[in-house]
Amino acid sequence: MIIEGLLARSIQMSTPLIIGALAEVLVERTGVMNIAIEGIFLLGAWAGFVGTYFTGSHLIGLIAAIATGTLVGSCYGYITVYLKQHQIVTGTAINILAAGLALYFYRVLFGVPLLPLTVEPLARLNIPLLSSIPVIGEILFRQNVLTYLSIALIFMIYWLLFKTKIGLVIRSTGANPEAVDAAGINVDSVRFKAVLCSSALCGLAGAFYSIGFLGLFTEDIIGGRGWIAFAICFLGNWNPIGAAVGGLIFGIADATSTVIQTSGFKLIPNEFVIAIPYILTIIATISRKEFRVPEYLGVPYIKEGRR
Amino acid sequence: MRSDRHILLTLFPLYSVIVGLFLSGLMMLFLGQNPLVVYRDILLFAFRDIYNIADIFAKAVPLIFTGLAFGFAYRASLFNIGAQGQFYMGCLASVSCSLYFSFLPKVLLLSICLLSSLIIGGLWGSLIGYAKARFNANEFLLSLMSTYVAIAIMNFLIRGPLIEAKGEYPQTDVIAQSAWIPLLIPHTRMHAGLILALLVAAAAYFILWKTALGFKIRAVGMNRDAARFAGIDERKIFVSVFFISGAFAGLAGFTEVNGIQHMLVQGFNPMIGTEGIGIAILGNAHPLGIVLSALLFGALKVGGALAVQVSNISSSFLGIMEGCVMLSVIISYFIRQRIMTVLEKKRLQEESKVKIL
Repeated sequence: MIIEGLLARSIQMSTPLIIGALAEVLVERTGVMNIAIEGIFLLGAWAGFVGTYFTGSHLIGLIAAIATGTLVGSCYGYITVYLKQHQIVTGTAINILAAGLALYFYRVLFGVPLLPLTVEPLARLNIPLLSSIPVIGEILFRQNVLTYLSIALIFMIYWLLFKTKIGLVIRSTGANPEAVDAAGINVDSVRFKAVLCSSALCGLAGAFYSIGFLGLFTEDIIGGRGWIAFAICFLGNWNPIGAAVGGLIFGIADATSTVIQTSGFKLIPNEFVIAIPYILTIIATISRKEFRVPEYLGVPYIKEGRR
Repeated sequence: MRSDRHILLTLFPLYSVIVGLFLSGLMMLFLGQNPLVVYRDILLFAFRDIYNIADIFAKAVPLIFTGLAFGFAYRASLFNIGAQGQFYMGCLASVSCSLYFSFLPKVLLLSICLLSSLIIGGLWGSLIGYAKARFNANEFLLSLMSTYVAIAIMNFLIRGPLIEAKGEYPQTDVIAQSAWIPLLIPHTRMHAGLILALLVAAAAYFILWKTALGFKIRAVGMNRDAARFAGIDERKIFVSVFFISGAFAGLAGFTEVNGIQHMLVQGFNPMIGTEGIGIAILGNAHPLGIVLSALLFGALKVGGALAVQVSNISSSFLGIMEGCVMLSVIISYFIRQRIMTVLEKKRLQEESKVKIL
């Protein structure tokens, strides 16, 4: 019973991490790191909450989150892809700005409420038949719609990257931009579109934290989970399947740490239990030997002679 | 003529600061506030009296350190975005020494605190450098995650062994007066840590541009492969850069605990590491630029904090200002590059015309 609950919660907690990591895989395959991921998660959570709070519709909340993510992504993409400025530096600036914006406009809209405002979190969708399978049904098929979407995305992005012409262009843009350019495809345009898609997905992932299961928005609602999704992309070797496995492991770590915190288990101090996902990232980063980094990751593409 | 143009171009970050403040000012309209009034308030408050002016310097001190921490590693093309964690480790080292060695004479006690925060911050940072050198691990991810681990260690110590005698709040006792950094101007918060910060900035300049180590660091930063062929052991550089960078951030812990707070409160100054990155970028990763940008951020903080109190603008507005300023500085680097290319082209064309004639 406890194990089932833990696993169901792990799947739940891994949802945004998987969506975020897949988004990061998609964009990093074109050679751009989406460093603004933490800020987009936060603004996505904010927009999802605000949209749902004012309309009462989760769908509008999710659309607002996607739109906000895309908007931030277009800003990040324009500066890094077209203006060729440093990705880590630009991303950091956008993350600071995003944190300020989310809190400021929460205040503009709601003032300082005495109790945190809440919305009804996304309902669990019990899939007919499948959800009544013992154990597995409980764990896998009684989740909310975003979880099912994240599972579908794993296969969709895998298919897109490795089975379609678009995927070939995406992968080549990260591995050999000159060749893509020589084939008459606009490198910057491919990269910019990838940034937009990935940011839209990250906005959605962020909304999971606010309306997916908590039903409220706080300033530390993301608390570095965007960065963990970013790390999972690295650890999963820029592969959608790897990202899914990584997301699941971190989901388990996240759920375990919550369970240990609320239980009477006192062998490890709570402070370190909270840090489990971060410590896990460090261990995984150090022990991972074979990284297949996209060749031109983080390098802006500048056509020769047109500086 | 040419040098005039050059000066105008080097002042570019300054224009972009103004553009950034203008952009963030637009956000105030949403709260029905006149941005001009708010900015006037910020200026008036920041320079209202000697106390506030001194406070600008006091606020700038830790920012100089974290700015140097990022900027120094950036010169080696390494990304230390874990200054926040190294800062907390420095805080812990400094506050522990202040609490446990409070019987020592002032000079000795302060030196111990300074050295311990420097060494602990440096060691915490060099772990990242070591992991990069030994396991080829990604320093960006490691430094990022190391902050969360440092926060866990800090929370644990502050709720456990270091908690105040009353045991009520997650904070330490006030440290003994003998561990306080002396004030430069009495009855203000400007303390001698400012001199330390300026000395350290000078030291960073000296290390980078006047020593063999600095030459190697910059060589690794410009072209890692070329540096390796030239016989530079990049792994040693990774460890030493991260030690120095972490030590800078650790020193911010010393000045904040012993100079300002005189105690350690759980989770205080949570943005200092990120702001350091902004300052390093604004200052073009040059120690002098970092000092000046830190003073600018200090003034925004002092004036902003007070202006926020008199208007109904929330303090998160400071984040918007910092973010907008950083973004417009980044874009200004692009514009400056463009202008320089165009000027260079023109010059070459004119020269070639002269030759043909």
